[in-house]
Amino acid sequence: MQTQKLNLMKKITLLLTLVAMVTWSAFAGGFQVRLQGQKQTGIGLIGTPFSFGASSIFYNPGALSMMKAKTNFQLGASGILSNVTFQKSATNYQAHTDNPLGTPFYFYGARKVTDNLTVGVGVYTPFGSTSKWDDDWAGRFLIQNISLKAIFIQPTVSYKISDMISVGAGFVYAMGDVELNKALPYNNNSSVNIKGSTNSIGYNLGIYIKPIEELSIGIDYRSKVVMEMEEGDAVFTIPASLSTTIPENNKFSASLPMPANLDVGFAYQITEDFMLAAEINYVFWSVYDSLNFTFEENGEMLNSNNPRLYENKMIIRLGGQYKLNDNFTLRVGGYYDPSPTNEDYFTPETVSLNTIAFTFGFTYMPIKNLCIDVSYLHTLGSETANSYDPANFSGTYKTQAVIPGLGISYNF
Amino acid sequence: MKKKYLLYILVLALFTACEPKIDEFAPSEGDADFTTYLAMGNSLTAGYADGALYTSGQTNSYPNILAGQFELVDGGTFTQPMMPTEAGVGVGDLGLRSKLVLGMAIDCLGTTSLGPVPFDPAPDQLEYYGYLATSVAADGPFNNIGVPGIKSFHALAPGLGLLNPYFGRFAADPTTDMLIGEVAKVNPTFFTLWLGNNDVLTYALSGGTLDSITPEPIFSGAMDAIVGTLTANDAKGAIVNIPDIGTTPYFTTVPYNALVLTDEADVAALNYGYAPLNVIINQYEGDTLAFKLGANPFVIADASLAWGMRQIKPGELILLSIPQDSIKCAGWGSMVPIPEQYVLKADQIAAIEAATEAYNAKIAGLADAFSLALVDMNSYLKEFETGMVFDGATYSAQFVLGGLFSLDGIHLNPRGNAIIANHFIDAINAKYNANLPQVIIQDYPGIQFP
Repeated sequence: MQTQKLNLMKKITLLLTLVAMVTWSAFAGGFQVRLQGQKQTGIGLIGTPFSFGASSIFYNPGALSMMKAKTNFQLGASGILSNVTFQKSATNYQAHTDNPLGTPFYFYGARKVTDNLTVGVGVYTPFGSTSKWDDDWAGRFLIQNISLKAIFIQPTVSYKISDMISVGAGFVYAMGDVELNKALPYNNNSSVNIKGSTNSIGYNLGIYIKPIEELSIGIDYRSKVVMEMEEGDAVFTIPASLSTTIPENNKFSASLPMPANLDVGFAYQITEDFMLAAEINYVFWSVYDSLNFTFEENGEMLNSNNPRLYENKMIIRLGGQYKLNDNFTLRVGGYYDPSPTNEDYFTPETVSLNTIAFTFGFTYMPIKNLCIDVSYLHTLGSETANSYDPANFSGTYKTQAVIPGLGISYNF
Repeated sequence: MKKKYLLYILVLALFTACEPKIDEFAPSEGDADFTTYLAMGNSLTAGYADGALYTSGQTNSYPNILAGQFELVDGGTFTQPMMPTEAGVGVGDLGLRSKLVLGMAIDCLGTTSLGPVPFDPAPDQLEYYGYLATSVAADGPFNNIGVPGIKSFHALAPGLGLLNPYFGRFAADPTTDMLIGEVAKVNPTFFTLWLGNNDVLTYALSGGTLDSITPEPIFSGAMDAIVGTLTANDAKGAIVNIPDIGTTPYFTTVPYNALVLTDEADVAALNYGYAPLNVIINQYEGDTLAFKLGANPFVIADASLAWGMRQIKPGELILLSIPQDSIKCAGWGSMVPIPEQYVLKADQIAAIEAATEAYNAKIAGLADAFSLALVDMNSYLKEFETGMVFDGATYSAQFVLGGLFSLDGIHLNPRGNAIIANHFIDAINAKYNANLPQVIIQDYPGIQFP
């Protein structure tokens, strides 16, 4: 027991040290990443109507106090292999991203304080985006590469009112950082590097209802988290003859909103071993109206207001789970995730297209209290013609992503 | 062990599965035949830029850019009469000169600022003549027969090579050959024709002091003959109209009222100095000269007035060729009237505009009569007055900073050529139901700040 704990702790520290390096690639839905539990990922990323232990901290804090174990730890990570191909309109030019492996991760720990009261904490990565285009690609004045990541820490309390209903709430402390590079048209080597980090707060509320033994309903609301960046670093690489006009080292401020989500899910136990589930996620993307940079020095020339005009969207998810035997549980799911982007204000920094995806997963229980959870997500390539009108940059984008994931869950 | 291999294969499959495929652009020639392309015109066609004809300017000429796209639909080799020098040979006020580059220059006040400076090391006059006198005729026939400086009717002049060394250097016999004679040597299936700019421009560039505007009947007669020859073998083509001079930085960079007085004493001194002249002007009931704090119209020479000078009026133009040191340190435009060769006056501008309009009517008529693609460069370049955005970069007709024109303020830089090449492609695609791809503008060199 003690050694197992130690191993677990080692893994956690390993994961947390990786945090500094991890990046996420957007594979759908703006820059939201909902890979916060491998069991849920296997069932089409449905999570609200389940009580899968400590991962309820993210998916539905209301369901947390319904967990059966006294103490549950979960940790896991996914590998996002995603790339974009771009065909510039009216030309024979194509470009491909060379995105690094994205590795969102999660860690949850929860413990029953009393039969009805459960407390826990989660560390997870619900937002992130990486796009890496060639430095000299046709869209270099819009973006060369961008890495956006956020880590949320969420202490959570959940209370079981009765066997039929439980509620929960979590406080979110969010840490985010962003780095981007883009070329400038002054000579062949001109560019700007923008880098900054910040933190913010939010909350996560959920309710879990089990009106009859076979049916469970979950409702969850995750607040928006607005990342206000102050005093970020902007480094301009510019010709010497312009150095008096554009200072090499500048500071900037910007604000990036991470949208609120309202999730409603249903799960129905058809037989003792076979469960079907459905969920909708309403994502309040319209909060992302524009991305504005304000510079400390020479702002008159450098400040930029960049419209994004995202729209609220609803994701529809379906999935099921089948318990093969005491050691194996199989999962399958799928979803439709419409892009929140505006077709006239679509930038290659976040290539988010309407996405249909399939998921598969299984859990292997080698011993009674240990689950090894494996998931696999595959998006069907979707192809859309879009334009970023302010830059007169248009073309057809196609994305594809495969995301294997691995996690463990341990009860004691 | 087997399970491990399976895992490797799976991981490998995941990686390779991950480059999304989009159907490639499918180029087609439509109703045109781009096998043999001939570009006819003046300096704009030749690839003249930054005040000179030089190697990389020619490489980035709009015809050479177009030829690269025609290659995708069976276009053949495109041969240009290449200059042997990157320093270039241009025609300046004081003989031949090199191209201009962006650099730091010190003015008469001792102020260092960024601006066009001669290419360093600049060849001497003898070397310039050597470059122009070396015949490249043996490398021909040439698909780009753009000749800097020529007017419409020059294309039909025997022995043009004697007067114009830019033709002389690639003509088989400069003493007798006509430029139009080059057409039969190439026997094009497709041509572009952009000619007539110099029929107004030579006059305009000299402030109306040299040369004259080609009368419309002479222009029309020449163009009829040229288009007739180009289309003799049923060649298809594109014909380009003449942009207004007001679309180029050469005529728009120096404001008419850039005489800014900040000192009350200067204002008083100028008004006092011109007081005796104003007495005379008043006798003729003419416009007196007056100065105030702030922006004032420059004083210009005007030979049509008995007293020889006046203040420039809004809408009249001061040319980019004006020696700026003379304004800053020799009192030009204030104490000394700006000589006529640096100014276009209202009546001169009106004559230039009327001729441009008449030429463009003729060009549109030719496009119609011979069923050619009409490239409306006049309207297109006007759109750059306020700036146009391509792929996140703004291009405007502003001098140097606009990124469209080269450092001579008349000819385009390589990105400018790429932009107009795309405009040609749009017109050609529309006319001939072709599907030629546009080029990526920023893949061509822009203005390079040092």
